Amino acid sequence: MRARPIRIDQIIPSIVERDAVSHHALEAQKVLHSMGFVSEIYARNMGPGLHGRVHLLEDLPRERPERQWVCYQASIGSPAADVFASHPGLKLLDYHNISPAELVERWLPHLGGEIRLGRKQLAELAPIVEIGFADSEFNRLELEEAGYRDTTVAPLMVDTTNFSCPPDQRVVDRLAVARARGGHDWLFVGQMLPHKAHQDVIKALVCARRMFDPEARLHLIGRESCPAYADALHRYVSALGLTGAVEFAGSVSSGELSAYYASSEVFVCCSDHEGFCAPLLEAMHHRLPVVAYGVTAVPETVLDAGIVLASKSPVLVATAVQRVLTDAPLREALVRAGLERAQAFSAESARRGFARAIEQVLQAT
Amino acid sequence: MTSEVVAEIEAQARELRASGCVPPGLEDELEACFEDVAEASLSGAGMPSVGETGSATPVTGVAGPLSLAGLRRQATTLARRRLGSSFHRLERRSALGAARAGESVWTQAHVTLDRVERLAAGSALASRVLSAVRPRELAASVAATTYPALEGPLLTWVLERLSAAKSQEVPGRPGLVLHAECGDGRFVKMLAARGLDARGADPRSSVRAAGTGKIVAAGTLEYLAATQSETFDGILLTGVVDRLRPGAARALAQLAARALAPGGVVVLVSARPEVTVAMDPVAADLAPGRPLHPVTWCHLLAHFGLSELAVFEPDPSTSDASEPDVFAVSARRPFPASLM
Repeated sequence: MRARPIRIDQIIPSIVERDAVSHHALEAQKVLHSMGFVSEIYARNMGPGLHGRVHLLEDLPRERPERQWVCYQASIGSPAADVFASHPGLKLLDYHNISPAELVERWLPHLGGEIRLGRKQLAELAPIVEIGFADSEFNRLELEEAGYRDTTVAPLMVDTTNFSCPPDQRVVDRLAVARARGGHDWLFVGQMLPHKAHQDVIKALVCARRMFDPEARLHLIGRESCPAYADALHRYVSALGLTGAVEFAGSVSSGELSAYYASSEVFVCCSDHEGFCAPLLEAMHHRLPVVAYGVTAVPETVLDAGIVLASKSPVLVATAVQRVLTDAPLREALVRAGLERAQAFSAESARRGFARAIEQVLQAT
Repeated sequence: MTSEVVAEIEAQARELRASGCVPPGLEDELEACFEDVAEASLSGAGMPSVGETGSATPVTGVAGPLSLAGLRRQATTLARRRLGSSFHRLERRSALGAARAGESVWTQAHVTLDRVERLAAGSALASRVLSAVRPRELAASVAATTYPALEGPLLTWVLERLSAAKSQEVPGRPGLVLHAECGDGRFVKMLAARGLDARGADPRSSVRAAGTGKIVAAGTLEYLAATQSETFDGILLTGVVDRLRPGAARALAQLAARALAPGGVVVLVSARPEVTVAMDPVAADLAPGRPLHPVTWCHLLAHFGLSELAVFEPDPSTSDASEPDVFAVSARRPFPASLM
């Protein structure tokens, strides 16, 4: 058994509020505190609201390896990885996946470079990392492929703030007025980034409106993180004559998000790449049946609690959505399975999983 | 169970296609349509630019030959038209002379350069043009886009206002001050040197890269929107306030007021509207992307609950007025009644 360190600190390239990896790091800190470790988070960039809770990377202490371990939250290329690599402490790496460069660099050339750097750094860190944590089996396999000798799945600690937040009544009322005129409400939640493939949900909506549901509406929730991509989506909706049928709600409050979940009838995800996809669980928690394109970690996150498709051809997605909306027993079964699936990722369960992963490292000889 | 359902759904989709319920070629058309709009968005065609004036020959028109020299000529022409006689005076100033245009016009040129850079990633021609001019031009852009051109009495006034920012939460703790659109962070350093816990935010990677210190990659509105309420003891707004679209000024004032802790101070520095827009007052007020008058800023800040409004306008007749075309406004968030 290893000597128990006094502190386990985390290094993260960037930390901001309302971000899944950032929330995971903050929750991991709480778990480490509860296990009796001193634990601080050191970030190269930090968003507003985190000053005081997170330290700048240059302030990271460098104590003896038996006293201090460091855990790197890996999701993008960053000079923070070099700081991690040069630290004398025993090294843990928590991997949240790095989206393939080819999916984003057409729209965000600079991000493409950071992604390639991230993949390169991931491989370079493999020989010096004691154990790699991954928040899905899909991610764990990527760690293995990158050369990590010891890996384990430690669930993502999902931000459940949205789960219990009461829905914003103004949004509920507004959506109810629209629904009274007929048509179903589709929902997708995720940053407006190219690999989330919002355009494919829009294509499916076009087919659904032609074939089944002429008044169907789509609500897209999420920050417009890539201006050119967001602009293309706005143009696309306009070119297709869907202005009024597709809502770009942007980044919304927890109450507003709850209202969208409560007022929508199906969650549709056509992402090309997801390392986990927390909104799928949010949808399940809110009793919203899921129709998703089954790539990367999506099938593992959904399991049998949603309709997972092998293709995202617009007609197929539209047909799946129509089935979910009109087949009451299927819908009920999906809602029930979704609630159970969401429960499996409850905050307490995820915290226990992360603590077990840390214990596993401590027990190693 | 779901695998059986998925098989049924796949069969139904095949039937729909076979039966003609789905117009032939619809899916291909949808894909082609997205590719068209994607190309348009990536090339910037028809996109309104920051600070665009509605001119028939906008500075950001990069659809033509990708020549930086041509771009600079356009910027100069536009600047002459917009600034009139003020242009020559502005051009003489060293910082602005580097861009051969007024500051707000140079901002457009800078934004255009960013866009050309993005284009260059997918165009061999654009890459060649940029590689030929990049070292000299980008070095100039970094030097010339450090917002704002704060000097002399105006700088003193701004620093005095912000230096008074003290932490209201923890007595003795340095006040937390944000400089939004901080460029290379030189004013962040000045504020830090005055004992403040100063942070910066700037969306432009090329400018940010030239700086050091606590600079976050974020646009001003984006950063403030993501900020928890009552976070900062001081906020310095520069650059962005010169080129806000209608409605955005109101949002900026609201977000800044929200982000201030009780007792906190916001200071904004802006070009004067009459210097950068040579048009009659009604047309000027209706034009997008132009600076606002100090009175308008006072009105907006007061509307969102701020008080102790003060305006600093350098006197152009005095010899020490280094920036006669720039003004500053400050306002304070009052303490709740129970704390007063």
